[in-house]
Amino acid sequence: MSDPALRIGDVAVDAGEIVALLGGNGAGKTTLIETILGFHAGQVSLFGRDVSALPVEQRVLLGVGYVPERRRVFAGLTVLENLEAASALPAVDRRRRVEEMLVLFPMLGERPEARAWLLSGGQQQMLALARALMNRPRLLLMDEPTLGLAPLVVSDLLSRLATMAEEGMAILLSEQRASLALGIAHRGLVLSRGKVVRTGTARELADDPALADLMAGG
Amino acid sequence: MAYALIALGFVLALNAAGAVNFAHGDLVVLGGAVAVLAGLWTGLPGPLLLPIVALVLGATGILAARIAIQPLAARPPEATFVATIALAAIIEQGLTVGLGAAPLTAPPFAGSGTIDIGGLALGRQPLAILAVGAVLVAAVWFLLERTQLGRRMRAVSSDRYMARAVGIPVGRYVMLSLALAGALAGVAGFLLGHQFLVAPTQGAGHMLKAYIAVAIGGWGSVPGALLGALGIGLFETFVSAAVGDAWASAALYVAVLAVLVLRPQGLFGEPVGRRA
Amino acid sequence: MRPLGWFWTVVLVLPPLLALLVLPSFGQRMVTLVGIYALMGVGYQLVFGQLGALNLAQGALFGLGAYALALLAPAAGLLALPLAAIVAAATAALVCGPLLRLQSHYFALATLALAALVNLVAVHVADLTGGANGLAGFTAALPTGAALLSLVWACLIVAVVLYARLFRGSLGHQARLLREAPLAAATLGIDGGRWRFAAFVAGAALAGLAGGFSATLSGVVSPDVTSFPIMILCLTSVVLGGSRHPMGAVLGAVIAVCLPEMLRDLQGLWLLAYAAATLVVVRWAPEGLAGLIDRWRGATAAATPLPMLPDSLALSGGPRELVLESVSKSFGGVAALSDVSFTVDRGEVVGLIGPNGSGKTTLLNVIGGLESADGGTIRLDGQRIDGLSPHRIARAGIGRTFQTVPLADETRRGDIVRAITSGAPFLLLDEPAAGASDRERRDIARLVDQVSAAGRGVLIVDHDIDLLTRVCDRLVCLDRGRVIAAGRPAEVRADPRVRATFLGLDEAAA
Repeated sequence: MSDPALRIGDVAVDAGEIVALLGGNGAGKTTLIETILGFHAGQVSLFGRDVSALPVEQRVLLGVGYVPERRRVFAGLTVLENLEAASALPAVDRRRRVEEMLVLFPMLGERPEARAWLLSGGQQQMLALARALMNRPRLLLMDEPTLGLAPLVVSDLLSRLATMAEEGMAILLSEQRASLALGIAHRGLVLSRGKVVRTGTARELADDPALADLMAGG
Repeated sequence: MAYALIALGFVLALNAAGAVNFAHGDLVVLGGAVAVLAGLWTGLPGPLLLPIVALVLGATGILAARIAIQPLAARPPEATFVATIALAAIIEQGLTVGLGAAPLTAPPFAGSGTIDIGGLALGRQPLAILAVGAVLVAAVWFLLERTQLGRRMRAVSSDRYMARAVGIPVGRYVMLSLALAGALAGVAGFLLGHQFLVAPTQGAGHMLKAYIAVAIGGWGSVPGALLGALGIGLFETFVSAAVGDAWASAALYVAVLAVLVLRPQGLFGEPVGRRA
Repeated sequence: MRPLGWFWTVVLVLPPLLALLVLPSFGQRMVTLVGIYALMGVGYQLVFGQLGALNLAQGALFGLGAYALALLAPAAGLLALPLAAIVAAATAALVCGPLLRLQSHYFALATLALAALVNLVAVHVADLTGGANGLAGFTAALPTGAALLSLVWACLIVAVVLYARLFRGSLGHQARLLREAPLAAATLGIDGGRWRFAAFVAGAALAGLAGGFSATLSGVVSPDVTSFPIMILCLTSVVLGGSRHPMGAVLGAVIAVCLPEMLRDLQGLWLLAYAAATLVVVRWAPEGLAGLIDRWRGATAAATPLPMLPDSLALSGGPRELVLESVSKSFGGVAALSDVSFTVDRGEVVGLIGPNGSGKTTLLNVIGGLESADGGTIRLDGQRIDGLSPHRIARAGIGRTFQTVPLADETRRGDIVRAITSGAPFLLLDEPAAGASDRERRDIARLVDQVSAAGRGVLIVDHDIDLLTRVCDRLVCLDRGRVIAAGRPAEVRADPRVRATFLGLDEAAA
């Protein structure tokens, strides 16, 4: 019963929990997330099952949503097409799920036929999140989601994540801006040169005066 | 219209494999040759030969990419250029050795002779080319724009990494695009092969025209390639009516050079990738 | 690259000697043909091998040389040979000047269109070219037999030796940089445009000369000499032989001429075998036959030597300060830099920090000329450098390194050392410590110390705040394109806005 949603090395994330992955540039946050997805080899288990041998696309279908750094929406596709392309469901369910997403993200519902590259950075981030949610994941991986976003969009995004976690989603959130991530996370990990150098509850980390130096790779 | 099919296949392969396929023109010729042989062996009428040609060339399209494009994905683009040029020479020489250098006539698609429409006597074959071409282009457009399969194909050519990360089996979709590209080339070869015959040396010309269509239409843009191909067709028809075939081609090449110098992103190209 | 060495010198000189001494006239003719193709191939190596540009007009230029000779020889005699080279070179210079800026696939298309055009003219301007029948009867005043063979091979030997010498040293390194890392090349002051132009025109001259020789040898010229198969032959033989090796073109030409003779019974099959062999070489032995032979001889080229730090880092002369005033830049309406002003003096190390996307790399690109500023000025002493092309800015005194090492087998330190040895009084270092180990970091810090002690100015971007604190005299912190703090490292690190935006700590948490 108590299998975590994700386990890779020392890192584990349980259902309903937000774990902040902290570290400076080049600390290995993206590499860790890509290893979980299967872009790099490594021992990974998802939902209590060893998936080390599964290719990326099959791991994703087990219930993993991924929002990459810099969003990477499908530029030439419309908002609707971005969402539909990400779905593995039959047509009727797929459309119903798209409708749900447009209700959940009113910002997207306003311009469903717009090509994704014409959206603003904040809209693209919401589209990337909605796309990641299309297959009803139980684990969400977010890589630097607040990068380049206006403060208002950031707070909207973070409160959505908090709500999703309350509904049972496991979330791994990588951030360079520790204060933001620790504001909503339950636990935090500090990564430096590919290794976990510090773990603790969000509270402990936020109160740690050495955190800045640790994150800067000192 | 046949140019449109060739250019459409060219751009699909370009998007799927991320590389120029210099052998694409020779796939067109191969399509004509397969139509000739299949017609001889089976004696089937044109419309039934069509799926045979499409299937054989679809498989060839995949094979070609497996040999000359995919193993070189990590190398500079020049490596793929050279490999596909070599592949083109292999197909051309293989056809010359196998069938001889003399042009062959592909079986007609819709019989020969003319149809009288409103007092105009129109050749059955050109009409058939027009009809089949239009139907296929429309079908491909429908596939890409209106079906889940097409959406996913476009997602794959837009961002392969991200396509995998949302659960799309990318390898299968790339193969599908390449097969479609080969099949379109083959059908074009079949349709052209009755009127303009099938000769091994035609490949370079077909490839050049598809290349030009894609370059002036905007690199990697499907509608741009179609517009480019139609533009080339119209340009050739009207200019050659005025000054003859040879000078029409010459004018086309001069126009291409001018376009490349003045608008390096193509006539209809939109600035891609400028957004941070 | 590599010196020719005794082995290859013998291989190069042997065929003409053997042909002159022992072979019958048919054999001499073949050896002459090898020389002609090899000459065209060496020219092709300049553009395709060294610069990596897929030029598909080389065959057409060869044909142009052939026609030029056929038309000029009755009047000019032997002088028609150099004239053939000049005609081809002039055509290349005229037509392809503007095309050289094009991206690889557009460049290929443009040269392909040019080739098709030349072929059309050859076939259809019958008054000048004799149309499909071609031209004949122009060889009266031209050398034949052994004399022609000697002439061809003399030209070839000179070309190969010159090529080997030229690309052995720094020119070879420059070509590699241009091929694999054009941006880095520009920041070292290499003028890519002029380089490509020179290579293209020189290559065309060799193709024209080879075409002239080929017309001399055969005595007739027909549109076939401008056709695509000649181009394919040139391309495949250079790839087979080795697209950069000094002997690649020669070996390729030997195969191109001898294979069809050996496989004469198979008729069309030889071309098939030839194309298949090319495919195999591209896939499994990209260095070509010459490279394979070198490997088998155990003479694998000495790897490009790592750049060495010069004995003395001191520089005298050159500008004293780099001054930025109100520099602004926006992408599609979004401000990437706004109103950025600061100064870097010689002997000073300034660190540039800020969160991702705050404009640090954009600023380096603007200073180095890779992007143009929308407003403000950048000066070296009194001289404005904003708006200059990257290689001019580099020559004015600014060197730089990149976030990712531009050449595959180079170390980060090598990249920095190269920027230092370029002799620039000011260096821009983009994240030199990203992904570096502790030891490399110490090494980099020491290097930066030495450079500034020797009187150069350094602007360094990095996220390693400790490293910067150690080496920098001053720090400048950017956030969303604006300078939010500047001053001594301790001051900047203590600044509350810097702590919040860059170090990721709220005042409350600290």
